[in-house]
Amino acid sequence: MQEKPGIGQYLYQTFASMKLSVFIFLTLAACSLVGTLLPQGITEHELHTRYTPGVARLIEYLGLNDLYHTGWFRFLLLLLALNLTICTIQRLPKTMKQLKQRDDRMTPEKLAKFAHNRQIDSPLPLDEVESRLAAIVSSELGPIRKLEDSEAYVGVVETGRWSRWMVYMVHLSVLLILIGALMGSMLGFKGYMNIAEGGVSQEVRLYRGDASITLPFKVRCDDFDVSFYDTGAPKEYRSELTILDNDRAVLSRPIIVNDPLSYGGVTLYQSSYGAILKQAEVELQDKDSGKTHRLILPYGETQAIPGTTDKVQIVDYQQNMSQFGPAVGIALFREGREPAGSWILVKMPQFHGNRIENYKVNVLKAEDGYYTGLQVKKDPGVWVVYAGFIAMLIGIGMTYYTSHRKLWIWAGPIKSGRNSTRIMLAGRTNKNPIAFENDFNRLSERLQNDLTSKSSKG
Amino acid sequence: MNSSILLSTTTFAYMVCALFYISGLTFRYRPLLVSGGFVGLGALLVQTAGILLRWKESYALGYGHAPLSNLYESLVFAAWAIMLIYLLFEFRTKQRTLGVFPSLFAFLAMAYASFSPQIDSKIQPLVPALKSNWLIAHVIACFLGYAAFAVAAGVSILYLVRKSSTANPHPKGIPGLIPEPRQLDEFNYQLILFGFLWLSLGIITGSVWANSAWGSYWSWDPKETWSLITWLVYAAVLHTRSVQGWRGKRVAWLSLMGFACVLFTYFGVNFLLSGLHSYGTQ
Repeated sequence: MQEKPGIGQYLYQTFASMKLSVFIFLTLAACSLVGTLLPQGITEHELHTRYTPGVARLIEYLGLNDLYHTGWFRFLLLLLALNLTICTIQRLPKTMKQLKQRDDRMTPEKLAKFAHNRQIDSPLPLDEVESRLAAIVSSELGPIRKLEDSEAYVGVVETGRWSRWMVYMVHLSVLLILIGALMGSMLGFKGYMNIAEGGVSQEVRLYRGDASITLPFKVRCDDFDVSFYDTGAPKEYRSELTILDNDRAVLSRPIIVNDPLSYGGVTLYQSSYGAILKQAEVELQDKDSGKTHRLILPYGETQAIPGTTDKVQIVDYQQNMSQFGPAVGIALFREGREPAGSWILVKMPQFHGNRIENYKVNVLKAEDGYYTGLQVKKDPGVWVVYAGFIAMLIGIGMTYYTSHRKLWIWAGPIKSGRNSTRIMLAGRTNKNPIAFENDFNRLSERLQNDLTSKSSKG
Repeated sequence: MNSSILLSTTTFAYMVCALFYISGLTFRYRPLLVSGGFVGLGALLVQTAGILLRWKESYALGYGHAPLSNLYESLVFAAWAIMLIYLLFEFRTKQRTLGVFPSLFAFLAMAYASFSPQIDSKIQPLVPALKSNWLIAHVIACFLGYAAFAVAAGVSILYLVRKSSTANPHPKGIPGLIPEPRQLDEFNYQLILFGFLWLSLGIITGSVWANSAWGSYWSWDPKETWSLITWLVYAAVLHTRSVQGWRGKRVAWLSLMGFACVLFTYFGVNFLLSGLHSYGTQ
């Protein structure tokens, strides 16, 4: 009585099928393709200005603006991993059985059914045939393993047995890469930090989500430099960094684009830079009192204007604002009032906008410098991914260059005319049948020549 | 003598080579095919000299980098890799008719590099992101993969031509010289497996490089993503063939689809999408 397969059995069979693998490959390819056509990682605002409300809602609903991190894309990757695992569980025992089965009993009738086979009748006696066969075959392929047989000489030669394992090696490598990626996303982080020259920072802004992380150490940027070729193209970005652990300098080293710095599992990469104002000398002319104040304002520090309760602070800087040259953003804080502020154009002291409330403001000297943009990453999964990479290359490389070839030899006495021994050769390969056929035919020719002539050439 | 003279000669020689192969196949005249092989080999040697000379010239200009850094240089290298792989393949298999498409691809790549007004053939300095020893390994691996896929695509086209005319029991004209479909199918598979190995190596070197340069071994940049798409399509080809016993026509079409992905990864991404590899457009 045929039992109806249960749902579990059905699912297992589906996951073990190669059709599903091909389907997942092509689906992943198609979904990845969609992600390259739509802009990724754009803000909600950009999304709504670019697309009509309906399209924007659809994109948001399916997560197409951040496709590679959506649940359903990860689900596809999970399906791939499941498919791989189940295929392996199902096929591995078969491969092991196939490789264990060393003593296949072969008769000349069975061998004649092989895709590659050759029959040679020789006038030589069986023991002479045996020794000549052994000499030639071992010189071409390797030692012959003799099988027990009462009437005839039966032997097997195998090469590249382990090439059967290579497909599992490739599958394992894909699993390793996926596991490594998962470890990275669960146990690691990726973000950036901008540090002004001379500045110290410990906060990393994360790329994903609106969050930041405090590093267990501090990073100081001692210097930043950018150099250019004669053509104007950038040549090198270089940051001199110092790591402060418990406020003690423990590591000091320059980093450039292809040469990051690692400390405590966290790696710092040179990724961008920008101009920043270190400090400015500012003249504030109080129109009410007629007094003029000169202040040195370090970037971002609040300072009181002498003789008043007013405080000022440089809050922003642009190297070239709307083609008017450098501009310093200054804020004025006055007790009981909303803060006021304005952009002060450095190169245009007469500009009517160079004032805040009752002050006419001039920037006498702007000392600018750079800030360095560092990408900061911690990824404990990266070594697992790399192990996967290596396994994949070995696996695919060996799959290409090796095949499992097996040659059966049977020789037994016959009585037909002047011939006294019949030899049957048969071969099988798991890959590259055309090359195998050539090799098989060449070996057969050689044996034919040798075994049908009286004198041995060996 | 400078590299641009050598590379112009190469362009012309690949045209002659392609003409030999095409006329050899059309007139079913073997000596023409053999001449195609020799012209191809000569052109490859001249091109090798041209590439090495260009490398040396970049040192004379004070930039000093391998000629693999922009679209012009990569096209030249693509042509070189296609012909290298094809000629090795011809040498091993003794099949000469298969040179039609590889030599044509090599000529088109060189002609496009030399004559397109959008492509600047000047030696340019390297931007900071490309200053790494990984550049050479990454580009060579990718282009050997692409080249093997290009040769496989040529074999697939011939397969489809051959297959469509075997309905006729006495093949006339072109198919007479082309190898058996079974053989073409096997060549296609071997070339795809070879290309797959190099493409994997190319993606992996790129990935390791990206991790050392900006801290992320995979960032779904369009170029990366498209190379993954290509990889997935060829992975599908290898699986359909080796397990389900899909052979012949469907594999030939999938191989062509894979090559279309290669072309899009190479050109489409540069011109239509933006990303980390945008220096490839100059």
